[in-house]
Formats: sequence, C-alpha cells, structure tokens
Amino acid sequence: MSRVRVQQQTFDPGAVQREVLGERTDIGAVVSFTGLVRDFNERPDIEALSLEHYPGMTESALESIADEAESRWPLQGIRVIHRVGRLAPGDPIVLVVVASAHRRAAFEACDFIMDYLKTRAPFWKKEHSASGDYWVAERETDHQDARRWETSS
Amino acid sequence: MSLTHLNARGEAHMVDVGDKPETHREASASGVIHMQHATLALLADGGLPKGDVLATARIAGIQAAKRTHELIPLCHALPLSKVSVAFELDEANACVRVTASCRLTGRTGVEMEALTAVSVACLTLYDMCKAVDKDMEIGEIHLDAKSGGRSGDYRRDMGLGEAPIVTGEGEAGEVTLGARCGLDEPCVLVKCLAELRERLGVGEVSVPFESLERADVGGLKAALKAMDPRFAGLEEGRVLCAVNQVMAGNATPLTAQDEVAFFPPVTGG
Repeated sequence: MSRVRVQQQTFDPGAVQREVLGERTDIGAVVSFTGLVRDFNERPDIEALSLEHYPGMTESALESIADEAESRWPLQGIRVIHRVGRLAPGDPIVLVVVASAHRRAAFEACDFIMDYLKTRAPFWKKEHSASGDYWVAERETDHQDARRWETSS
Repeated sequence: MSLTHLNARGEAHMVDVGDKPETHREASASGVIHMQHATLALLADGGLPKGDVLATARIAGIQAAKRTHELIPLCHALPLSKVSVAFELDEANACVRVTASCRLTGRTGVEMEALTAVSVACLTLYDMCKAVDKDMEIGEIHLDAKSGGRSGDYRRDMGLGEAPIVTGEGEAGEVTLGARCGLDEPCVLVKCLAELRERLGVGEVSVPFESLERADVGGLKAALKAMDPRFAGLEEGRVLCAVNQVMAGNATPLTAQDEVAFFPPVTGG
C-alpha cells in the first residue's frame, strides 16, 4: 500500500498500524497520531467540517513530507492518511503512523510530519457552525511548530 | 433575490447580457432513468432493436445543448466550447445515471444547456428502449455545479458524507496540466481554491498566453486584474500560488498550458 492516501472514507488506525508492522521483527517502536474533528474551534458550536484539497498536489506534498522525514530519521515505515469531504465532530480526520527501530525517531518523525502537513499540504477547512459557515484561518502557532524543525536538525 | 427574466412590469423578457464581462463558464447537471433490470441488461449488451442506445443518446444530448435557445424561450444562443454527456449504468438500482457538462467563455451561464442535455439524453434513452419497457421513469434531473459569472459558483449540496469538496477534476495523484484550457489559443489555466474561490467568485479561468506582458506569475496576475477587476482580491491577505502543482512565487516563469493555482494558507490536519 502507498505511504500516502487522501480519501473520503474513514480509517482504522489499528488496521493501518498492523499493516505497517506486517511480519517484521526489526521494528522497535511505532507511533500513531490520529487527529479528530473538535466541536469547538474559532466558534464554540461546530456542527460539521468540510475539507477541500487540491487533488494531485495534495498527494505530492504529502509524499515529499514523508521523504523529508525519511531523510532525517532512520524509519521503517510511514503511513499518512488524510480525509476530505464533510466530517462531523468526533470523526477522525488525519492519521500518521511511523515505525522505527527506536522510539525517539518514531516520536519525532510523527511530530515532524504533522507539523509539516499542517503548514504545507494543500488542505482547507470550512467549519459549519450554528451561527454560519466560515473558512478556518491559519494559525501562527502552527508555523512556530513547523519552524522548530528548521533549527534543530 | 429577484427573477431576472421578469421586467419591472412582471413581463417575461430576455436579459441584456451585452455589458457583462466574458468569463469562463461551466455547468454540470445530472439525471436518472429507472428501468427494469432486463432492460438495463439488454442496453448493456447492445441487444435493443434500435441499436447503440448510449451513443445515440449522447449525440442527442449534445445536439440538444446546442439548441437550448430554440426550446427555452428566453435563453440566449450560445457558442458552447464544449459539451460532454456521460452515462453510468447502475445495475444494483436498475437505472442509468446521465451527466452532462457544458463550457464556454462568454457572458451568460450554461446551466440551462447542461440541464437540457441531460433531459434530452434521458428522453432519447426512453425512446430507444421503449419497445421493451414502457414503465421507465425519468427523474432527479438537477444542476450539480456551475462556475463563472457574477452570481458566483454553485455546488449542489450532495448531503452529509457524500462528495468531498475538491477542486478540479483531477484524480488522486494525477496532475492536470492545462488539459482543461477553455480557449482555442495557447493559454494558462488559472484555478482559485477554497476561500479565495468564494471570495473572488471565480473557480477557473483560462488566460490567453499572448495576453501576458511578462511570462511569469507576476505577469499573469497583472493580466488577470486587467481582464476582471475581481482579481484585485489576489493582493488582499496572504495568497499562495502553485505552478503545475508546485509552490511558486511572482518570479516563477510560465509557459503555455501551465496550470496556476492561487489559494489561501493551508489549514489541514
């Protein structure tokens, strides 16, 4: 299976993790991050979320983030799944699974992939709240998080 | 909201579109014809007495789109740049789903053309199959999406959990390099994504390559602003750019058939 998937349907983090591990016994650590749709964000009463993306560019952006992670840490497996379409609060939206021989690489690479995904992959969120629809604005904290990886390596 | 086809006295009249700017217009519509399972099987196997049903219905739909102004009283005659009609045989639900899309660069929308194409394609399917099935039923004819023009983009709400909001027709992992340029001359395909598309009221537009004073992104922005004042909005807030799906800046050079996307900062994850 490819490292990167953009899809409408939901995903099963456990199944994806088992698939990354397969029959291998050289993996010592696997870190999995699942992002969920919150019912509060810029406004307190979010009923749904629409995710738009730029087909083609999205996949290549995620692939190059995965490449970058592999060049920085010794990794034995990466999966990135991001959903698009209309989602409800509580729905899983993004999954990153990273496997490595040692935990530090797996933790850091997973953190890195999420930070770069949030600032570089062409996804846009529109929130549907009781008081109207609006596009989510970028956050400076996401950029600060992504910049951590520019100085520390 | 008012009905533009009625004048101040409530009488029907044709809207004067002479002063509207020309923009890239696109509309898609769909409909369904339900039939017996046996009829659908015959249709799929080419076993119906009148011959190739789908090819005939496709031509009928295309012809109908071109002649919409003869059928619908207040429609303008439009030089459509593209009409496509597609069929999807749904065996589980014993029906044929018909979709049509129409395109032009002009002053008026093409949703009536797309709806007419779907309607006539469905009627033709009925005519081609009626010898074996008179219970067929045509339904669910509606506009799916339209883009271009002052009234902004429209996308039918497909309901919770259905069709994602995505931009363009590209398949996963596929790069659509200017394949959808709507002009005959060499051009650059411009896409506005997400919040920017809604703010400017423009989804896609083709820009003649010759109209660029400088063959780079900065030159394209200048040409867009000269073409349509709404593109002044490209300078408001932080607007990012990708050329052929790779991040780019004002100095990035362009060639004909490039795809250039403008979009707001990303907010995924």
